[in-house]
Amino acid sequence: MKRFIIGAASALVLGVSAAGAQDYPSKEIQGIIQWGAGGSTDTVMRSVTPHAEEVLKGTVVMQNMTGGVGAIALNHVATQAADGYTLLMGAENPLLYKVMGLGDKDYSDFIPVNILARGTPILVANPAAPFDDYAGMIAYIKEHPGELRVGATGPGGLPSVVTAMINTVEGKMDVISVPYDGDGPALTALQGGAIDVMPAVLGAAIEGIRAGKMKPLAVFDVKANDKLPEVKPVTDFNAGYNTYLPWGPFFGVFVAKGTPDDVVAKLSAAYAEGAKAPDFVELMDNRGFSMLSISGAEAEAFLAKWQQGTTWLLQDAGLTKASPEEFGIARPSK
Amino acid sequence: MDAILAFLTVFTQPELLLLVGLGTFAGVYIGAIPGLSVTMAVSILISFTFSWDVYPAISLMIGIYMGGVYGGSRTAILLNIPGAPSAIATALDGYPMAQRGEAGTAIGVTTVMSFIGGFIGIAVLAVAAPFVSEFALKFQPRDYMLLAVLGILLVGSLSSGSLVKGIFAGALGIAIGAVGRDPLTFTERFTFDLQIMQGGISFIAVMIGMFGVSEALMQLHHVEKDAVRQKITRIVPSLATVRKHLPLSLQTSTIGVIIGALPGTGGDIAALMAYDHAKRVTKKPEVPFGKGAMEGLVAPETANNAAVGGAFIPMMTLGIPGDAVTAIMIGALFIHGLNPGPMLMIDKPDMFWFIVGALVMANFFMLFFGLTGIKLFTKIVEMPRSVLIPLIMLLSIVGAYAVNNSISDVYWMLGFGFFGYFMRHYGYPLGPVILGVILSRLLDDNWRRAIISEREDLGRFFYGIVTSPLSLVLFIAVILIFVSQTPLWRRGKEKLFGTQVEEARQ
Repeated sequence: MKRFIIGAASALVLGVSAAGAQDYPSKEIQGIIQWGAGGSTDTVMRSVTPHAEEVLKGTVVMQNMTGGVGAIALNHVATQAADGYTLLMGAENPLLYKVMGLGDKDYSDFIPVNILARGTPILVANPAAPFDDYAGMIAYIKEHPGELRVGATGPGGLPSVVTAMINTVEGKMDVISVPYDGDGPALTALQGGAIDVMPAVLGAAIEGIRAGKMKPLAVFDVKANDKLPEVKPVTDFNAGYNTYLPWGPFFGVFVAKGTPDDVVAKLSAAYAEGAKAPDFVELMDNRGFSMLSISGAEAEAFLAKWQQGTTWLLQDAGLTKASPEEFGIARPSK
Repeated sequence: MDAILAFLTVFTQPELLLLVGLGTFAGVYIGAIPGLSVTMAVSILISFTFSWDVYPAISLMIGIYMGGVYGGSRTAILLNIPGAPSAIATALDGYPMAQRGEAGTAIGVTTVMSFIGGFIGIAVLAVAAPFVSEFALKFQPRDYMLLAVLGILLVGSLSSGSLVKGIFAGALGIAIGAVGRDPLTFTERFTFDLQIMQGGISFIAVMIGMFGVSEALMQLHHVEKDAVRQKITRIVPSLATVRKHLPLSLQTSTIGVIIGALPGTGGDIAALMAYDHAKRVTKKPEVPFGKGAMEGLVAPETANNAAVGGAFIPMMTLGIPGDAVTAIMIGALFIHGLNPGPMLMIDKPDMFWFIVGALVMANFFMLFFGLTGIKLFTKIVEMPRSVLIPLIMLLSIVGAYAVNNSISDVYWMLGFGFFGYFMRHYGYPLGPVILGVILSRLLDDNWRRAIISEREDLGRFFYGIVTSPLSLVLFIAVILIFVSQTPLWRRGKEKLFGTQVEEARQ
């Protein structure tokens, strides 16, 4: 009997190591979240994953691995075995690591399982600011150079990209850029009057706008957002933005390159199904995110286009450490 | 009327009552183990309670939060190893008491004072939340910077013995906190181009090493000595004791609520500031500070539990987290279909009153679990050292690994442990190192934000300080506290009053 158990156990061990995707997942899957607990990426991943688990019939243990603007988590997943048992749950910024000199790896070392959703940037101001819309802000900056305080979240963050767009479309703006740890602390500072204007993701600002704690200046999109239909898109003020928009941060689940195709397919199917769950859709809608839920070639194309557009925008604004050209990122054709 | 019903929800539903109790019980033990943090426990709970209703999920989290903040004091008193950053100040006087065999009394006072502090925090949350959050929003980068400077002046209070060594230790802490990619520009600082340095040095790893491992190594010197027998006849402090410390606990609770309500500062800084305040206002402690003064326990423990209620203030009124735990709870509310923000209080006042009710309940459970099981706990210190020391080492390693599931944190922890041992050996205090690490980012980031906001113009910066009442008060406090620690002040006082001024601060 004892020998039988040992035999069965070793057979099981051998079976696991030899088995392919037909019985994937046969153990716990690790989900590495690039950002801290309580942030947008964390919230999104922790809401969608339980639904994907049901489809997978497996367990995904999620943990936050912060530091190095997400590079620590990305490098960690990249060095794990490409067997589909370690997922990277991240946001858009790794696509900027190379040009920003933050790391030598990005999503080209990964396979997208699912790009879940895209956010829309919005420009918000302290209610006491002496202007009420985007045009008013631009006029104010021109009349009072070097006075307006605009929040930022470091090079490569959403505010830096939006600011680069403004500088490219409107010409160089003379403002004070005040860096914060993230859009949460910056929006807090906005409400306290430490900064005047903040480019943020719509979902982070929407409750503050509803309560009248901050006022919207323009949505950075080609059309108004369903959540805030009365706020004009920035293209209404200056058609020059059509070149760069729609643009927005996104969330996605990735596995290291080299993961067997059938495992990727299983994961993609699970996350695609999970992303359809009504409470997840509602959560994303409440926060003003547009659902994408794309995978495969479509996701690869999305990533490539995003990276081309954003890195060259930052390059032209003089914000990069290295040219996108060095990494074979082609300039987008207009 | 609806508010009262919502407040009473948790008291009337046995299931919720049970969850708060369970959470508080688990929290006390999670808090007591260095490295197992409330933040971690609550973020694991988000996935675990995903499919639950929102009330039970929040009940469990609140229990863990309340219990965990208190639980950190246990190991601080018994083993000189703070279970959580907010219990660092508790070890300063709690451990000397345990060494005298008064661990029971120390834990009793700590529990009752945590209860009082917690209660004051909740009361302020319930009564004055909108007012306090408006006040907290007024803090500009320069005010946070001044607050950090005020914090750094605590080095004087935390250094028993040589002030110079204390300043060295504090400066070392600030340097440790600066390692890694600078969060504002992502420039590498002190990383020597090494991959593991990029993420910075985990402050929890430093704390566990400095307090846990170095303490275990110190204990090796006394392996042969018998452990101190603990008197545990009287655990619940007498009414007279409580009444005597009531004025102090009210003051330190106020510090706790305000520091807790400020986004970006939490119970750890509150507890240290409260300790300093106690040292400043207590003219004649029965036992000197650092040798087991009761006031040294009262102050940090009321403050860190009051900070819990404080942290909920910006969360409930503005959707802004008051600390790391409330940041995760905001995420939890999102996942459960609520929209935390300024409108939550208006759209869903029930949620606010429910949370207040759950906090009150958790506070009572904390008192109950805190006062029971002490006999068993004190047995830990009576264990033979040959058992205790390996146990501390093991817990330190597990704890350091658990913070980020990273083996490099364990190396940092061990490295700082050995370093801390030698620092102690040569009379360098360890408290200021941790203080420096905690305050490093607060000081650095906000100083830069403040000066960038003024276009790097020092004149405009100081103009900003003198024209803002809040900044001015903080600035004057910094100057006064600084000057009062110099010999000049003492001499000036003697000349003015013509009497020998007693030196309260060592």
